[in-house]
Amino acid sequence: MINMNLKFVYLILFGLLLIFVASNTSAKTIVIKNATIYDGVSDSSYKGNIQIENDKIKRISSSNLQGDFIIDAQEKIVTPGLIATDTEIGIVEIGALSVTRDDSADMYKIGFSIYDAFNPNSTLIPWNRSNGVTTALTTPQNTSSPIGGMGSLFVLDGKLNVTGVRDAAMIGQVGGSSSGSRSEQYAIIEDLLIMASSLSKSDLSSDSKIYELIGESAISSAMELHPRDIKALFKVLNDNVPLIMKSHRASDLLKLIEIKERFNLNMIIMGAQEAHLVKSELAEAGIPLIINPINNIPDSFDELASNIQMASRLEEAGVPVMFNVSRSHNYHLIRQGAGVAVANGMSYGGAIKSLTSVPAKTFGMSDRGTLEAGKIADLVIWDEDPLEPSAMPEYVFINGENMDLTSRATRLTDRYTKDLDEPVTYRD
Amino acid sequence: MTNLVKFSITLSLVFLIDSVHADREAFESTYAPLAPEKIIIQNASVYDGDGGELLETDILVDNGKIIAIGKDLPFSNEFRVIDATGKWVTPGIIDIHSHMGVYPAPGVRTSSDGNEATSPVTADVWAEHSIWVQDPQYALALAGGVTAFHILPGSANLIGGRGVTVKNLQRVTINSMKFPDAPHSLKMACGENPKRVYGNRGQAPSTRMGNAAGYRKSWIQAEGYLRKLNEYEEKSDEAKELEYAPTRDLEMETLVGVLKGEILVHNHCYRADEMATMIDIAKEFNYKITAFHHGVEAYKIADLLADNGICGALWADWWGFKHEAYDMVQANIAIVDQARNGTGCAIVHSDDAIGIQHLNQEASKALSAGRRAGFEISEARAMKWITSNPAKAAGIYDQTGSLKVGKNADVVVWSKNPFSVYALAEKVLIDGAIAYDREKNLLPASDFDIGIMSPNKNRIEE
Repeated sequence: MINMNLKFVYLILFGLLLIFVASNTSAKTIVIKNATIYDGVSDSSYKGNIQIENDKIKRISSSNLQGDFIIDAQEKIVTPGLIATDTEIGIVEIGALSVTRDDSADMYKIGFSIYDAFNPNSTLIPWNRSNGVTTALTTPQNTSSPIGGMGSLFVLDGKLNVTGVRDAAMIGQVGGSSSGSRSEQYAIIEDLLIMASSLSKSDLSSDSKIYELIGESAISSAMELHPRDIKALFKVLNDNVPLIMKSHRASDLLKLIEIKERFNLNMIIMGAQEAHLVKSELAEAGIPLIINPINNIPDSFDELASNIQMASRLEEAGVPVMFNVSRSHNYHLIRQGAGVAVANGMSYGGAIKSLTSVPAKTFGMSDRGTLEAGKIADLVIWDEDPLEPSAMPEYVFINGENMDLTSRATRLTDRYTKDLDEPVTYRD
Repeated sequence: MTNLVKFSITLSLVFLIDSVHADREAFESTYAPLAPEKIIIQNASVYDGDGGELLETDILVDNGKIIAIGKDLPFSNEFRVIDATGKWVTPGIIDIHSHMGVYPAPGVRTSSDGNEATSPVTADVWAEHSIWVQDPQYALALAGGVTAFHILPGSANLIGGRGVTVKNLQRVTINSMKFPDAPHSLKMACGENPKRVYGNRGQAPSTRMGNAAGYRKSWIQAEGYLRKLNEYEEKSDEAKELEYAPTRDLEMETLVGVLKGEILVHNHCYRADEMATMIDIAKEFNYKITAFHHGVEAYKIADLLADNGICGALWADWWGFKHEAYDMVQANIAIVDQARNGTGCAIVHSDDAIGIQHLNQEASKALSAGRRAGFEISEARAMKWITSNPAKAAGIYDQTGSLKVGKNADVVVWSKNPFSVYALAEKVLIDGAIAYDREKNLLPASDFDIGIMSPNKNRIEE
């Protein structure tokens, strides 16, 4: 208990110091020294000192670096902040409470964006951040269209002035469903992409022009599409916006490769529980995957080949992988998944990259996801090996700022373990 | 497949056929173990499941039982030697909350048999009559060190029916998987689920007070039925000749089983205030609650649980999927464990076919969260959360759940300390027979796994 309290005092002192330093505009450098650095670039770690100035990593070096504030990270692993690629952070507060959900649309099937619904005060943000997640891709539910719905990237600093990338990816889904054939899903995808391919940038200049053009399209009228939907499709076809297709069955993955190549899409496949059966084809097509490495359940007839070696098999074949989780709210558990992947044959360095640089690169965040001079300082100092589920961050930096690691969960823990002589509602 | 394995399977089939002919009550266990081996596990680091940690220890197994534990044990050359130098050994992991078999994989409508959500009280249904024995998930749990688990009906109903404890040895009938002499359990559920399911249909219960009234009405009925049974039993033999025994009532038989202490109550309940209400209902009708399941708010009433001898069967970190699961703290399990000077009963449960494969990791999360909250808890103690405590809550602790001489040899050999994510179960013994061997690729395959991806291969064979 004494240790815990001392640590708390240090944290407060450090926080005060940062406030002091922040108010002193001339100098604000932080040095994390003696760190064991997994930088998200190299497969192995190295010892070094990291200098942070303002929101950026200024320098990483094995030689001594000057800082206004020094953190000794002796024996500690430092990684880039984790990037969770398949979340509902900021748009779903309580799963079974529809009034707290902003993840589905009534009218828009393809162009539906969740960006404006994002709640920076969601309790999921401090919780996932205090567990090491600094950026999240938040996506809506799949719509009735096999492709459609736009996800956005959010930096989890919790500020009302949101930092994010609007409509960073479109989502889609093909496979077994309780109504209709996957063959029709493919036909719809094909029709939509052919229709949108016929448009040029000037066709999108006004909504009335779009209405005029899509009015002649059978697929557009059948699906009651709106200009917003058409513009979203156009971005996927022409602006390299990633299309994340959720799909599992080996035959579907091959079909998706065909669609990617035919329409020259920036495609990512999510789920992909049978991916190892077509791993060389996926590698050749350069399709990154979002998989849940801990999920080996044959949960549907599309996922019969589900297995616990998926991550290592894909790594071996040269397929870039990122991780997701199967349940809501604890998106930081991609760490545990990564640990299980390593226990089942994936390389440690590869697993760290899957949590950091691979998603940064895949979603076009060139300034985040690695620890390199000039990059934004999103990083985590861990109390032990971050792939151990028992590990927790000691420090989380986002945009160079030392984040408070308090969450509603830590507040509740304190309330029921400290000052127990006070009536509960008068405790902290 | 090795000849040894073939032999043991043949042998167990012989046992199985034998037991079919034996005199037995309906639904009684016909479990027969795999052919037990003589095994010595040498030089292991051991968490014994009762809170003890032993180093450089040997475990001697014969005829399905643990026959000796100690350093440098003598043994004859009939014993197969498992060198556990650098490895860890624990009792078989036990999950007190599973829906494998009643919600099998693939998760399709035709075998989704976990909730008889047609009436708020279905004390008459038994989970074992829903279980699909070919669920491919059992073997995955076995590779995670799970040797026994307790299968419950779902939580749609106030009183959902009987649960059953099984050995993690896949067989062709459910009776042959049932854990011998394990008591039945009764699944009850608080809160959002029953009130949502029935409230949406415009019937009771639609509120939490409706839930409470529902349980109480059922117990009043059960008291009446028990009185009738007792009155009949007390009659003279002559009087019994003239009168039929009270007509059997499946619902009442289950509830009376609880009132008599023969059936253990496992109560799905998230909120602290509702758990306290359930404790009062149990007092009112003089029955015991064995465990609250899920109990996301158990930490708020940890002392009350300890005082009443009720276990908290909990997740390490699930939260937020519904309102009553909003107040999660990762120290929940540790706080329940440490209540009243460490007399609390904490269990890490899964409720999930992925989670059941990694209960050791879930315990690790709960342990580290407890230490961060300021509790001094040893790893050996935390091992109880997934071994002896669930064994007690399932009523099988006299047979398994810890490594003690005379108990069933349900044993896991781990590649590393099981509190690490990198630890893999290398060998799993159930009743002294090797049921899983990672090195030898010995993993049972259900009929579902056979020839389904490719005629010549099993489902996950490369």
